[in-house]
Amino acid sequence: MAVITPRQRASWTTANFVVIALAMIPVLWLLSLSFKTPAAVLDPSFWPAQWTWGNYSGILTSSQFLRPLVNSIGIGIISTVIAVVLASMAAYAIARLRFPGKTVLIGMALLIAMFPLIALVTPLFTIERALGLFNTWPGLIIPYVAFGLPLGIYTLSAFFREIPWELEKAAKMDGATPFQAFIRVIAPLATPGMVTTAILVFLACWNDFLLAISFTSTIDSRTAPAAMQYFSGGSVFTVPTGPIAAAAVVITIPIIIFVLFFQRRIVAGLTSGAVKG
Amino acid sequence: MIDDGSGTVASARRARWRGMPRSLRGTAPPGRTRGPRWRLAIAAGSAVLAAAALSACGAASAGGPVTLNFYLYPDTSVATQTAVANCSKQSNGQYTISYQQLPQGSDGQRQQLVRRLAAHDGSIDIMGLDVTWEAEFAQAGWIEPWTGSYLAQAQADTIKPALETAMWNGKLYAVPDNTNTQLLWYRSDLVPTPPATWSEMIADAEQLAKAGKPHYIEIQGAQYEGATVWFNTMVNSAGGSILNANATSPTLGAPAVQALSIMKQLASSPAADPSLSVQMENQNRLAMEAGTAAFELNYPFVYPAMKADNPQLFKSFKWAPYPSVTAGVPAKVTIGGIDLAVSGYSKHQNLAFQAALCLRDAQNQLTAANVGGVPPTIASLYNNPALFANYPFHADILQALQNASVRPKAPVYQVVSIDISHLISPPRGIDPTGTVASMAGQITNALQSKGLVP
Amino acid sequence: MSTTTQAVPGTEAVGPSKKKVKPQLTEGQRAERRLGLLLCAPAVVVMIAVTAYPVGYAIFLSLERYNLALPQATKFIGFGNYGAVLSSPYWWHALLVTVIITVFSVAITLVLGMLLAMVLHRTPFGRGTVRTASLIPYGIVTVAAAYSWQYAWTPGQGYLSSIFNNSAPLTSQTEAIIVIIIAEIWKTTPFMGLLLLAGLSLVPEDLQKAARVDGASGWQRFTRITLPLMKPAILVALLFRTLDSFRIFDNIFILTSGNNGTGAVSNLGYDNLFSALNLGIGSTISILIFICVAIIAVIFILGFGTAAPGSDLGKR
Repeated sequence: MAVITPRQRASWTTANFVVIALAMIPVLWLLSLSFKTPAAVLDPSFWPAQWTWGNYSGILTSSQFLRPLVNSIGIGIISTVIAVVLASMAAYAIARLRFPGKTVLIGMALLIAMFPLIALVTPLFTIERALGLFNTWPGLIIPYVAFGLPLGIYTLSAFFREIPWELEKAAKMDGATPFQAFIRVIAPLATPGMVTTAILVFLACWNDFLLAISFTSTIDSRTAPAAMQYFSGGSVFTVPTGPIAAAAVVITIPIIIFVLFFQRRIVAGLTSGAVKG
Repeated sequence: MIDDGSGTVASARRARWRGMPRSLRGTAPPGRTRGPRWRLAIAAGSAVLAAAALSACGAASAGGPVTLNFYLYPDTSVATQTAVANCSKQSNGQYTISYQQLPQGSDGQRQQLVRRLAAHDGSIDIMGLDVTWEAEFAQAGWIEPWTGSYLAQAQADTIKPALETAMWNGKLYAVPDNTNTQLLWYRSDLVPTPPATWSEMIADAEQLAKAGKPHYIEIQGAQYEGATVWFNTMVNSAGGSILNANATSPTLGAPAVQALSIMKQLASSPAADPSLSVQMENQNRLAMEAGTAAFELNYPFVYPAMKADNPQLFKSFKWAPYPSVTAGVPAKVTIGGIDLAVSGYSKHQNLAFQAALCLRDAQNQLTAANVGGVPPTIASLYNNPALFANYPFHADILQALQNASVRPKAPVYQVVSIDISHLISPPRGIDPTGTVASMAGQITNALQSKGLVP
Repeated sequence: MSTTTQAVPGTEAVGPSKKKVKPQLTEGQRAERRLGLLLCAPAVVVMIAVTAYPVGYAIFLSLERYNLALPQATKFIGFGNYGAVLSSPYWWHALLVTVIITVFSVAITLVLGMLLAMVLHRTPFGRGTVRTASLIPYGIVTVAAAYSWQYAWTPGQGYLSSIFNNSAPLTSQTEAIIVIIIAEIWKTTPFMGLLLLAGLSLVPEDLQKAARVDGASGWQRFTRITLPLMKPAILVALLFRTLDSFRIFDNIFILTSGNNGTGAVSNLGYDNLFSALNLGIGSTISILIFICVAIIAVIFILGFGTAAPGSDLGKR
């Protein structure tokens, strides 16, 4: 590694600091708001004049928020696992195999990814009610999987395309069936891609607001972003800034931890796919 | 929902691997096979099914008392829980009321209810409706009319305008639970005698501005329902109305022009808070508590809030009736509040009527008034000393309520309200005659279900 | 499962010189097709089951006059809704707002993303921290971030409110749109940065070194070597970012509710669907949004030559 001059060190430190500051300031603001008392919310200073844990104790002792948090995590994980499994299979087929209807499949995935969700909410709601899925975990998991599949298929087909054909051919020459070739040779190499896809799909489910608020009615299946809509202040007119900020921080913390552990994977995953020359 | 596409694209023809070492071919790759993943998927699938089964189990009915689902905004006070517990007990085992929360915002509440009622959801029994929703819900058949003895009980001792909000096509579709109306709140240290009309109030404020004292007039000017409420109050106080009696066309006219002139006058005077066009009830309250304002037109929730947040200022925090438009003619303040309705798809309508009547009886309304800060709809409560401690302004409220105006009643009220609020907010953009003309045109379209909402 | 017979090398259509030989399918090819269809089946089934009826129903609704509050007045009116929407100033205004937000936020995100990619690529220390910090805007729930911005810009309450002289930027159209664009840029730069980083990391160091030896300046190296080699990555990043930005909803919903002329087309659709309960008009707006998005995709793929995923099989 080349020697870094003090001047270079200074400029890289500045660059790093700028990136970190710009990324974190709005998050720090939320943090600061979450510690402000209702009176301190009034003053525009960045840090609270009066600190309180009240907002956090309020939401963390209330099942009205804890249960939605659990729902978010559970629904997110289950949807991600199912979506990645299904997407892997389909992406492998797209990237590797020849079969009719491939363009149709890709077109359908594109259509689903591009169609405005707002128009689909009402008919989907009607179906879910008819099937008894309203306000249940599967009621959110199934749409999340369906809407996460296009994303998953694209990402994974890019990764699968990356893996050289020779490996599979060699495995087949050694007598493996396509299935065995997939499991023993391809899948391990596609793991970074699968992890990346899993992360992307999980974040999309975690983030969703419209479906969460439309397909749930009680904390049985309501997720965290929707739960924030149910916080109330001292009166019908008071906006509970403190609790909302505290809730926003709480639903961000898992993401921060997540990113902290997986940042290598995320970046490695996205950069292992090379660009088409 | 999927708000980020991924998209690294395919392989480079350059970055070709030279193949895996022979030693690795055909052997199990270190530590990773598809096996665990498949098992995980099956486990996940079972978990899903189990969760679904469990949630279905929870809903299975026992042989005991009927559960009535009561949907209301989230009440942070114990008033609702107390009422629910009381009424479940008083039913003598016939029913238990289950309090289900709706989102905090009024729009969110309506969307939840509408979505489920339009799908004929039978799991809603009693709902707390905002006073503007009855026409819409009744026209669509989502709520049941009150008849017979239930009707008589609902009407007894209830404040007339509150009852009026729940009427549609001559029938009563809900029973008023709580109500709300605005008063003029002012700083007695700045203004010894409160103004009686809008012109006086604006003049007072301008004088205070010249003297360099706090002088803002706080009112809700954001582009939302609160602005429509303000406009409705002004038009009715000027002697007019927004819609005609059977909601077939807009009336507006000269009273509307007068109302808009006053609103415009406020917006262009130094008395207007610079944030007027973004303010809702809460921001008005905060500005008053911060000491920058001299007058405030707001609901009584500001009184206990000021007491708690700024005890110093609270000493000179007084109230008066809402200023009138024409001297000598009292203002007709728009009435708000919540009415309880029975769902048209409820499986226990009889019990639901009884439960609703209990939930809003005098005792429960008194608790809600004292603990929850929402004024009652039963007239005799305003003479009940138990109310006076928390409502020193009870006489002014009762007077305002009895002379109140309601918002226009039409199934398409939401659209009408959006059209109005978008025309009058920000208030500095009002042009009295021009705005009235646009408003009349848009409301006409809305009543015929034509055109878009902004 | 039957094992495929050993394919004689050369009969499979491998390699760049494949021709469309198609008289007869070999056993191997048939097995391949079966496997392909089988692997795709579950994903296809889920996608169709969930979206076929809603998409079809949405299209059907757009041809009807249907107001949830007035169910008795439902009527089939063909393209009447489309006429109403396309002749309404609200639609064109929302479209203009959407285009403005899209153009500005994507352009600025591209520049900032490139800068971020370079920092991530080259910084000699603290890489983990910088990466984590820069991924947080991407990971944070959009609604939570929007609340953060909303409170920040509220006069008298937020640390940013004094920038616009306490004039309530969220209620003035131009200022509110600027605030919305800032919120969008903050949220999406990390993802753009990562996509660009993928492209950046493939630019060979040797080319850069050779150019430096030849005396090229940093800027020349950037514009003559890096950018051209990154072009495919840039195009893909632009495509997906533009598609998503066009459908912006959450940020506007929380920040301004679309008031004061700041609503994008998705907000317009939402208001008409859920506030006005006008399913006919709301569905029409949604279909029109979809058509616009499709046009954007077509322009990128056919016009700029962006590689659409799945458009080729890569090397075989």
